Amino acid sequence: MARLIIILTLFCLVAAAALARVHDVTKGPIAEQERLRTISALKSVLPAFNNAIDSEAAEVVVGQDKKGRDVRIKFYKGKMDETPVGTAFQVIAPDGYSGDIAILMGVGTNGKLSGIEIISHKETPGLGNKIQKEEWRNQFKGLSIDDGHKLAVKKDGGEIDQFSGATISPRAVAGAVKKGLEMYKKEFADGG
Amino acid sequence: MADKELTTHHLVEGVEAIESVPWINIKDLLLDFVRGLWEANPLFRLVLGMCPTLAVTTSATNGVGMGAATMLVLVGSNIMISILRKVIPDMIRIPAFIIVIASFVTITDLMMAAFTPELHHALGIFIPLIVVNCIVLARAEAFASKNTIIRSTADGLGMGIGFTFVLTLLGSIREFLGNGTWFDIPVLTGIMEIFNYEYQPMIVMILPPGAFIGLGLLVAFANMIEEKRKVRK
Amino acid sequence: MDNVVEILLILVSTIFVTNFVLARFLGICPFLGVSARIETSIGMGMAVVFVMTLAALCAWLIERFVLVPFELTYLRTIMFILVIATLVQFVEMVIRKTSPALYNSLGIFLPLITTNCAVLGVALLVIQKEMDFFPMLFFAVGASAGFTLALLLMAGIREQIVHARIPKVLQGAPISLVTAGLMSLAFLGFAGLVKM
Repeated sequence: MARLIIILTLFCLVAAAALARVHDVTKGPIAEQERLRTISALKSVLPAFNNAIDSEAAEVVVGQDKKGRDVRIKFYKGKMDETPVGTAFQVIAPDGYSGDIAILMGVGTNGKLSGIEIISHKETPGLGNKIQKEEWRNQFKGLSIDDGHKLAVKKDGGEIDQFSGATISPRAVAGAVKKGLEMYKKEFADGG
Repeated sequence: MADKELTTHHLVEGVEAIESVPWINIKDLLLDFVRGLWEANPLFRLVLGMCPTLAVTTSATNGVGMGAATMLVLVGSNIMISILRKVIPDMIRIPAFIIVIASFVTITDLMMAAFTPELHHALGIFIPLIVVNCIVLARAEAFASKNTIIRSTADGLGMGIGFTFVLTLLGSIREFLGNGTWFDIPVLTGIMEIFNYEYQPMIVMILPPGAFIGLGLLVAFANMIEEKRKVRK
Repeated sequence: MDNVVEILLILVSTIFVTNFVLARFLGICPFLGVSARIETSIGMGMAVVFVMTLAALCAWLIERFVLVPFELTYLRTIMFILVIATLVQFVEMVIRKTSPALYNSLGIFLPLITTNCAVLGVALLVIQKEMDFFPMLFFAVGASAGFTLALLLMAGIREQIVHARIPKVLQGAPISLVTAGLMSLAFLGFAGLVKM
């Protein structure tokens, strides 16, 4: 009986050692992939930049959530040859059709949106998930907080297209982007 | 299938009896490999491994990816368990198998996260779930623990390819009807555009019901083909 | 009061909106294998509720107190599945002592709970969703309850199907899968009810 336990334990140890080795080898590439994904998303929402944007990110506490915990947002500052071109940060729309929608939004130094990208969502394929389409997201470019009334779906008096049969998803995104701009204005009153 | 199984069994006994001679029976090897492709196809005939099949086949690419990952684990664990088959005490063989399989799953998981990140993200928790894919444990118990390394490799490859085949087929059907594309190439949508018609995809195919019904009808179709084969014999 | 509402939302969400069998595709093998009769389904369901809740609990504790502090998250898969295998052995012993009849009727399906992707799936999901302790518990209870519900519904239908004339090629797995598809279609009606 003891022999069986010893053999099993031996097995576990050998397995754990092998896995630790593989982990060491893959740790670097995995972190790199994560970094590349972040940079790629930032590239699509900000004007061209060439700084080490992810290492210059600043985390700011912007308020408290319902449970009283701090809400932290990472602000990525993009620079081209040391001149700031814009700031990007992530907001979450809690009122998507099937749950949270994470949106990365970029604001240029002129206070106008330079782009949005949907980071994660659970919306219905073929209906709500059209929010990922580039043509739809491009509608947000150039809008600023002063165009606040435009940041709503057409049904609600704004200028953003909704999809027939899937108003909830676009509405959630528009709402979150608007709130994001309001928050951005509050934190960086002079626009960056 | 029962008769063929018995004959193969006798062949196995015979081969193992003269195992001291490095004799690789090619006919046996081919039998082991081909078996998993159709006659003992894990999904069509053995009805194993359905969870990942239904979950990830929203596109042909995901189907191929999942199949490849599972095959990697299957071949790896079959080989390892075959190597260790004389060393593992019978009483603890299931936990031992699980440790081996889980190790290969973890290795595959880490490799995919490092080198194929999009596929890794698309397949999500179903990569670690390969460890409970009944196919892997079933082949370990039924074959790899009782056969030589070479034959276990052939078995793993055959089962893996058979599995990947069904995954890709179902993924292709669901992607084609539910999205108009195939391997992300806008086939149906493209053709429809030529006729100035915007393809409205059958979204239900991409959603859960499409998976169940799609697989159910595929298995029925495979049954039909098998019936015709039996009649011809 | 807030907590009660949150718990109710979790339960509704895991049982109906994203039913673990009909929407998340977890636990299909036992779902098709055990659901031939209602009594076995009830027994299996209860065993799964017990194992799944315990498994989620152990997984959560291991992640929080072992894997994360020692940076061993890559050992997650192997540790979770070993814990589940042990739990199932334990439950098997308990059932054999307390109710031999149930033990016999469940037969091979009991040890098969180890390979029930729903159990490992739930353990992995609570980690992925970074759940706190109590939501995690109710998530597991809801998931297993949803599994049992799907099992019972399927058993009820299959007990009737036996009397119908089914084409030979559709007998067995195909007709069960198509039935599951129609059930899944019905459950789609719950989509959007709870946002989780």
